[in-house]
Amino acid sequence: MPSCHGALKGIKGSTDYTFVLAGNPNVGKSSIFNRLTGMGVVTANYPGKTVELNMATTTFKGLRIGIIDLPGSYALGAVSEDQWVARRAVLDSKPDAAIMVLDSTNLARNLYMVLQFIDLGIPIVVALNLMDEAEKRNIIIDAPGLSELLGVPVVPTTATTGYGLDDLIQEAIDVVRDSQRIRYHLQYGTDIEANIKRLAELLSPYDFGIAGRALAILLLEEDAEFIELVEKHTNGRSLLEEVKKISKEIEEKHGEETPLRIARERHGLAGVIASQVQNDAAPVVSDKLWGYTTSPLTGIPLLICALGVIFAFLFYGGNWLSTLFSDLWAAYVSPVIDGAIFTIFGEGHIGKTLIWGFDAGILAALAVGIPYVLTFYFMLAFLEDTGYLNSVAFLTDRLMHRFGLHGRAIIPVVAGAGCNVPAIIGTRVLTTMRERTIASALITLIPCSARTAVILGAVSLFVGWKPAVAIYIIVLTLVFFVGVGLNRIMPGSSTGLVMEMFPFRAPIISNIIKKTWYRFKDFVFVAFPIVLAGSLVLGALYETGYLWRLSSPISPVVEGWLGLPAVAGLTLIFAVLRKELALQLLVTLAVVIYGGGADNLLLFMDKTQLFVYALVNTIYIPCVATIAVLGRELGWKRAGSIMAFTITLAILIGGFAYRFIEYFNLL
Amino acid sequence: MEADTPRVEEYLESIYKLQQDQYPVSTSRLAEHLKLSAPSVSEMVKKLANRGLLSHTEKGVCLTEEGKSIAKKVIRRHRLSERLLTDVLGYRWDEVHDEACRLEHAISSEMEERISESLGNPRTCPHGHPIPDKDGVLVKENVKSLSELKASDRGIIVSVFEEDPRMLKYMASLGLIPDVCVRVEEVAPFGGPMIVCVSGSRYALGREVASRIKVK
Repeated sequence: MPSCHGALKGIKGSTDYTFVLAGNPNVGKSSIFNRLTGMGVVTANYPGKTVELNMATTTFKGLRIGIIDLPGSYALGAVSEDQWVARRAVLDSKPDAAIMVLDSTNLARNLYMVLQFIDLGIPIVVALNLMDEAEKRNIIIDAPGLSELLGVPVVPTTATTGYGLDDLIQEAIDVVRDSQRIRYHLQYGTDIEANIKRLAELLSPYDFGIAGRALAILLLEEDAEFIELVEKHTNGRSLLEEVKKISKEIEEKHGEETPLRIARERHGLAGVIASQVQNDAAPVVSDKLWGYTTSPLTGIPLLICALGVIFAFLFYGGNWLSTLFSDLWAAYVSPVIDGAIFTIFGEGHIGKTLIWGFDAGILAALAVGIPYVLTFYFMLAFLEDTGYLNSVAFLTDRLMHRFGLHGRAIIPVVAGAGCNVPAIIGTRVLTTMRERTIASALITLIPCSARTAVILGAVSLFVGWKPAVAIYIIVLTLVFFVGVGLNRIMPGSSTGLVMEMFPFRAPIISNIIKKTWYRFKDFVFVAFPIVLAGSLVLGALYETGYLWRLSSPISPVVEGWLGLPAVAGLTLIFAVLRKELALQLLVTLAVVIYGGGADNLLLFMDKTQLFVYALVNTIYIPCVATIAVLGRELGWKRAGSIMAFTITLAILIGGFAYRFIEYFNLL
Repeated sequence: MEADTPRVEEYLESIYKLQQDQYPVSTSRLAEHLKLSAPSVSEMVKKLANRGLLSHTEKGVCLTEEGKSIAKKVIRRHRLSERLLTDVLGYRWDEVHDEACRLEHAISSEMEERISESLGNPRTCPHGHPIPDKDGVLVKENVKSLSELKASDRGIIVSVFEEDPRMLKYMASLGLIPDVCVRVEEVAPFGGPMIVCVSGSRYALGREVASRIKVK
């Protein structure tokens, strides 16, 4: 993924105008972005930040226009990652204008950030979006009046139909061409304004790359980033002394801290403006209906149904697609690839190794990617766009809190039962690295559909359904204790849930498809190279026979501690490629060693061994695609720790289970 | 009953105050508040429990009725002393706390009544906290945590996250600032989060977040 600095520079250099698209979460900002731009979207991020920036170029009346979609945030500040990224991108890209997307049904709160942009001195155009929703609620907004009060053009829009978007871009271009169209004249309370002005004058001889008034306000708001910037300057300390003095005066006069006072002034101003341009609307019935999703009595049964549907969809739908895909691949694609490779490289070690990578490897990535990842993303986008995800987070917050997580973690954790890969990418809904690490560690322990296949194929079929259920119980107990344990030992504490609850919105299929595609594209680029490389290495080890030599160093653990045949240990190593491969290989090896008919695994391993085998396979190290995503999402150090931890855990639990079962003669 | 040492009184007073936020009070929290080591605090807690002044469970300690009445007496003396210092001796209100901490243990019941009478039976200390009357009845300070409200209750925010400026700023950007009216819309059971309405927007707040927002 490109870095933001490079990508922002690129887009500025290649276009006539650059606009940033800003607004609160869930105001239809990404719908506008999708409407305005095509498929050629570049996603970039700042190093160490998980919140991403999308940017794209488009053509409007012969002009090339770059649009940078800022993360949805409630304000521009340094207190949360989305706010930080939004502000950094505005300051770095120095856009020609900002297009502020507002939710017409909640004008007062949305105006807060508009005022912040005005404070930064950036030319803006306001899009009064969700006009259709506002109409449904009998909210009437006087757009010309709002334009007059704010001193900027205001365009009513409905992103879902595209209404007003051409006017919006035209206004944005006009604003850049004719700066007279912007007439900022909004004022906070007289004495606050006087103090801001005083400070701006003190700052005027210096160049900090930002307008004097903007910097004055940021310093009074005690913004850590800008205080640091000023402090580095030679006169910085004395300037900050002045800031403190002025801030103290404000505090004494108003009896509250200056940052709070400024926030209050801004909210107050936003509220006054909103009340002047809109009528009082009566609440609408649809909100009450939506209330059933959060009311515990009706919400919890609904949630269980929803999670059940997701799981069933991933499990049955995904499995069906995955099998279909593998069959088609084996019938049509695999012979072509194999033929080509054998013709060019011959049927020696090299040819066979390449087949591991380019036939089995690509299949592995696709057979996980398309059926599980794509379907999961589709469902996730659907839940997000309707607003149901927030209701889910609300209901499960309490449980997740015990693991140091909050409600937003439930969806990725449950999705892990389908496939770990999209689940781990899904932890992006969590804001801190601590939360993402805990959630990812838990997800790697959750038996995905491939591991379920092994549990069913080895244990349920040959040992019985009760031991198969026992494996799930053991693993879920582990998940619980690991969650509670990680929450205890990891430094820091959980942030707690603060989340806006949206009214129900009908999802738009084209938006969902685009969202799904952007996310899936990301997965393909991350997972493919690593799965390919992993398969090639494994293939080379197998084809050259080196793999068999590995069986003696691991035999003390596999034979001595886990009580499994050494050759079964090897299949566990192979399962890194795809977890269900463990079982397939086990059967293959059994046939190789004991001849045909050994596909009854009981000739080869006893019931205890099969149980321990499936248990270890479920817990230890996730598959290579998961490893790739873990490394990419959390960094290789954390990914490595999670891997080492799961291997240790699997060996410990497997060994104890073996002894426990033997001692009590349970199977 | 043997006379209570200043140390005992100090413990009971601290537990009483901490109980307002967290019930029962964990010993680690108590140690932090008293600036003492955890082992010495748990030893003292055992002694107090033996005397029947508090009950001690795994989760922490709770005052018994007897413990509470001593704690309230100490608080009454502390706050009366503060009044005396500001109103009669001309101290500033930010100077009186430490002096009052020493005085509260030295005042007899007789002296307590005379101070109260001569000051005209004041109802609050200079910081605005209520003074319990001589029977220990406390005019309930009407400030409570947002987390204590029930569905469809309303309140006005008094303070938000006093000790965490980052969070305070974040909440401020959402419009959760003092003097703003909040309405609780939904409360999840078993200590789950709550949905609150603030100037037209609805937010879900985790219970621990809500407990740090004070309302009246």
